Amino acid sequence: MEHTNKSEILRQGAIIFVFLAVLTGLEFFVAVAIGAVALLAVIALVKVALVMYYYMHIYKLNAQDEQLDRHSFEYKLNTRRLGLWLFLLSDSFVFGGLFVSRFNLLGLTRPDLNQVLGLAVTSVLLLSSFFMNRAESSMAHGDRRGFIIGIVATLILGIGFLAGVLGVEWPNAIKAGVTPSASAAGAIFFMMTGMHAFHVLTGVIFLSIVLRNGSRGIYSPEKHWGVEAAAIYWHFVDVVWIFFYPALYLIGKLI
Amino acid sequence: MKKFLTSALVRGLLWQAIGWLLGALFVTGIRFLMGLNPFDQFFFTEPAWVFGALVGAISFVAGTGAMTDWFKWAKGEETPEHREDPPGWEKYLNVSLDHKVIGIQYTVTALILMCVGGLFAMIFRTELAHSGLQFLTLQEYNTFMSLHGIVMIVGILVGVAGVMNYLVPMMIGADDMSFPRLNAFSFWVVPPAAVLLLSTLALGGFDTGWTGYPPLSVRAPVGMQMFFMGVAVAGWSSILGGLNLIATVLRMRTKGMTAFRMPIFIWAAIATSIITLTATQLIGLAFQLVMFQRLLGMGFFDPAKGGNPILFQHLFWFYSHPAVYVFVLPGLGLISELMPVFVRKPLFGYRFVAMSSLGIALVGFLVWAHHMFTSGMNEYLRVPFMYSTLLVAVPTGVKFFSWIATLWKGKIEAPTPMLFVVGGIVVFLLGGLSGPPNATVATDLHLHDTYWIVGHFHDTMFGGYIFPFFAAIYYWFPKATGKRMNETLGKIHFWLMTPAFLTLTLLMMRVGLLGMRRRVADYDPALGFDNYHLIMTIAGYLIAIAIAIFLYNLYISLRHGETATGNVWNSRSPEWQVPSPMPVHNYDVPFEVVGEPYDYGLPGSAYVRFADGSQSTKH
Amino acid sequence: MRHFVIVGVLVIIVFLATYFGLTALKLMPVEASAQSIVVDWMWNLDFVVMCFLFALIVVPLVYSLIVFRRRKGDTSDGEHIEGNTKLEITWTVIPLITVLVFAYLGAYSLGETMAVDPNALEISVTARQWSWQFDYPEGFTSNELHLPVNRQVVLNMTSLDVIHAFWVPQFRIRQDILPGRVTNYRITPILIGNYTVMCSQLCGTSHSYMTAPVIVTSQADYDAWVQSQVTAAQAAAAAGGPANGKLLVQKYGCLGCHTTDGTKLVGPTWLGLYQSQVKLSDGRTVTADQAYLVESIVSPSAKIVNGFPDNVMPKTFGTALTQSQINDIVSYIETLK
Repeated sequence: MEHTNKSEILRQGAIIFVFLAVLTGLEFFVAVAIGAVALLAVIALVKVALVMYYYMHIYKLNAQDEQLDRHSFEYKLNTRRLGLWLFLLSDSFVFGGLFVSRFNLLGLTRPDLNQVLGLAVTSVLLLSSFFMNRAESSMAHGDRRGFIIGIVATLILGIGFLAGVLGVEWPNAIKAGVTPSASAAGAIFFMMTGMHAFHVLTGVIFLSIVLRNGSRGIYSPEKHWGVEAAAIYWHFVDVVWIFFYPALYLIGKLI
Repeated sequence: MKKFLTSALVRGLLWQAIGWLLGALFVTGIRFLMGLNPFDQFFFTEPAWVFGALVGAISFVAGTGAMTDWFKWAKGEETPEHREDPPGWEKYLNVSLDHKVIGIQYTVTALILMCVGGLFAMIFRTELAHSGLQFLTLQEYNTFMSLHGIVMIVGILVGVAGVMNYLVPMMIGADDMSFPRLNAFSFWVVPPAAVLLLSTLALGGFDTGWTGYPPLSVRAPVGMQMFFMGVAVAGWSSILGGLNLIATVLRMRTKGMTAFRMPIFIWAAIATSIITLTATQLIGLAFQLVMFQRLLGMGFFDPAKGGNPILFQHLFWFYSHPAVYVFVLPGLGLISELMPVFVRKPLFGYRFVAMSSLGIALVGFLVWAHHMFTSGMNEYLRVPFMYSTLLVAVPTGVKFFSWIATLWKGKIEAPTPMLFVVGGIVVFLLGGLSGPPNATVATDLHLHDTYWIVGHFHDTMFGGYIFPFFAAIYYWFPKATGKRMNETLGKIHFWLMTPAFLTLTLLMMRVGLLGMRRRVADYDPALGFDNYHLIMTIAGYLIAIAIAIFLYNLYISLRHGETATGNVWNSRSPEWQVPSPMPVHNYDVPFEVVGEPYDYGLPGSAYVRFADGSQSTKH
Repeated sequence: MRHFVIVGVLVIIVFLATYFGLTALKLMPVEASAQSIVVDWMWNLDFVVMCFLFALIVVPLVYSLIVFRRRKGDTSDGEHIEGNTKLEITWTVIPLITVLVFAYLGAYSLGETMAVDPNALEISVTARQWSWQFDYPEGFTSNELHLPVNRQVVLNMTSLDVIHAFWVPQFRIRQDILPGRVTNYRITPILIGNYTVMCSQLCGTSHSYMTAPVIVTSQADYDAWVQSQVTAAQAAAAAGGPANGKLLVQKYGCLGCHTTDGTKLVGPTWLGLYQSQVKLSDGRTVTADQAYLVESIVSPSAKIVNGFPDNVMPKTFGTALTQSQINDIVSYIETLK
């Protein structure tokens, strides 16, 4: 999967984004029109597969580098990649636990949340993944300006997501009676969105550091592990939301 | 003295205290401004204590300097790859990136924690010697009993990390772990976690046992929160340690060390790390949910709000059952590792033993609800979980049979490490055999939450980890120090501890079957258990004396031990082919694996060949 | 070959000695329920295998340590035996089959212990920190569990606070008791005698002392006891006043949160409450007179005592109780000085 042509890889990122956007729209439509949980699960899995392959480049874990010197940058880079993926595997058990808890507590019912807002924040996060991918690809091809534009766009969208969830969705939910202490439904809603928002927040901090270092010229097309790590982490946070969005907004009857 | 006072440990403790205070004051100030009660029973309010504890734990690690390199990286600065340690003892109290130093830091911390946990056990074991309440109140009893459990569990986790950290890079021919800074970080979160756990004593204790089931844990004093926080912090050590170990084994093996030519202990370490990496998150999550239920009234486990107390038990046991495999797999790996050396025969069925470790770890993910047969969970879940639990017996049996076949027709020598290996097998056998009746639902209805269970798991913990841990210390002590441990004291330690321990646990099982509940401060004299308990308490004291002899042996051997820099046990393993103590970056001359690890008795065979042409000398 | 024969004989001897020796020690308490017979049958099967495996491992282990020990001056290695795939497969497959058989037997015996008799006697059990309460179908309440022999009984159990567990060792069966839910405990007593139910799920401070008598009697004795309890309850209800109030507070679970001995639980104690000065959460201080007590029963949120949470006590007692019942309870509280 080595792409040397920059415009080609940017185009690929855009195509994947279009796919993801269409699937999200389809998801919303399926939930509203048919309510088929199995279909929603399939769509979510397809979205996750697209993100993991084209944005997170999971195939890079399968590097055939046995012949490389153990102390070379390249070999260590592959080790770091493995370490990050192991961390994400570990972290996904937290989200998996919350996801399972949600179905244990609420079954096929869900709290009454603002659908427009849900779709909006989901789109914002998806769009941020697109820009994150653009930023990383630009850096890989030595385009510092494209990198900075991409990162800044990602940051703005990430902060927008946080503002949407913490600043609008939470007060709205509380006004509608879905508070942390009122019921198990409120509790699990705030816990899931809160845990996810905490990860978005750490991602924003991570991106700010990468932006600062990147604008000072620390990264090069060959050595930019910080950018790649921030990108993989950011996409992971998006992957989590791909599961959480239907679990909170789409699946089940209203309580 | 000055070196001690300026060490990372002391700095960290100071920073923890400062961070804790500032965090608590911050929340107290906010509460004051919001017009809420700023103070409570234990001076600060519960949210203030919790936030302070979190800030304190982070301050500790930052204060030691374990994160300094990361901060530099974030600022875009380069740091040197290695950091040289000072030559003396003070490197053990400071942040070191050397896996051997970290391994010893872990091991010593583990011994300290186990001694503290053992001390708690002695306190309440003394109380139990006779029916009626002697010198503890009910709340004190419950707190000591709960703390004994969790301090021992954290102690063993830390001990596992110690052995794995010290041995794995050495055995696979690496100069260090994959991520040395992460390794140091994983160690340095343990001391603040230990402080948090012990601080429960000052904050009203907690009376839930180490399981912390809600709703009881929602009603317990503030100490409960410190327990949750302590476990969560210690959990990060476990998670990151597991991550580091998997990456190290996958990426740092020397040339020629294919999967089935790794020392068998590496298989056990990998199996264990898979569990710590993933499942640990679930106990952290379960405890966090209770913390939030206490702080914000979130009703995850409150039936009145539509919550489900059983959900907690599922999340909790999803980690806490595999956790026992985290303890025993490295222990059983040590048994398999040491036995061929003292039997002078290959490990029987290497591949099966290796696969049985992975088998136990993977099946172990699917058995958690056997702790909940009487909990009132969905009844149809009980039978499948009985099947999966009993299946664990199959790979465990493979290990036992392979050990017996290894011993058969060997030339068995039994210095202290081998004694502990054999003792471990016998004790773990009792633990293993007392398992199936708990897995069979019908009999578990009687056995659950009795002293039978207490006896069962103490046998598995001691046989599965503590005995092999002692064996490992006696065995690798010369590698770490260049000195031998005293053999006579070692034998006294073994022959005092083993019979006392067997008496203790067999009597636990006996009274458990007859109707002795777990976790009770007092028992009805009409049950007729007074004499049994008296004997158990005496046995407990004998174990304590044996441990004291062991500690004395450590001290005396470190100071005056017989010098031993060569291949003390005549082993084929690479770390014994270089002089002890181990050089700073392990192998000055790299080696290549050219044969099977345990080909004892095969003339002319070699396991490793060093780049300068020297082979593993003795064989 | 000689080694195998010796070890084989020793394994059988040790197996038989362990099994019969330990069984002679009477490992289990008496069997006092029909279910205990099933459990013990299963236990015995488990125990046979346990003793056999114990012998199978320990005998060759000890034998090897003695017979294959290194002789003085011998520096040679043992035989180079790396393994034996057939043997490994054997000791994987045989245990696998054993385990599957035992899992099947376990499921079968579990089913036996759960066998339902449609004519079972139903008794409600309420567990709370740290006492038991038994409500009988005849409408009275007791702190003792009386059961007729040879008749299945199903206990419908719930908890008012934390998780408890119902365990009588002689009955073998155990079941957790959860707040907000009803769990069942089904048992057929077969042996007349006095037993003890113990809470066997750690439930806080006085967990050790959370026990209650379980008395299995003949049907005739049981009927007589029920009759005497019914008569006593009716007499108290007819007489009214504090005696009836005392029965009512037991029946309606008031004592789960309010003590009569001064201990602080979820709700304020009743000891010395009447006519005392009560500090409220809003800062006021009121006298706990009769009107205050009635109001606190009917609308618990009207006045919240300082240091106690709101919204814990049910707000339904105004309709669940008649006016005279409320008066009886108040008169009972007035006697607690």
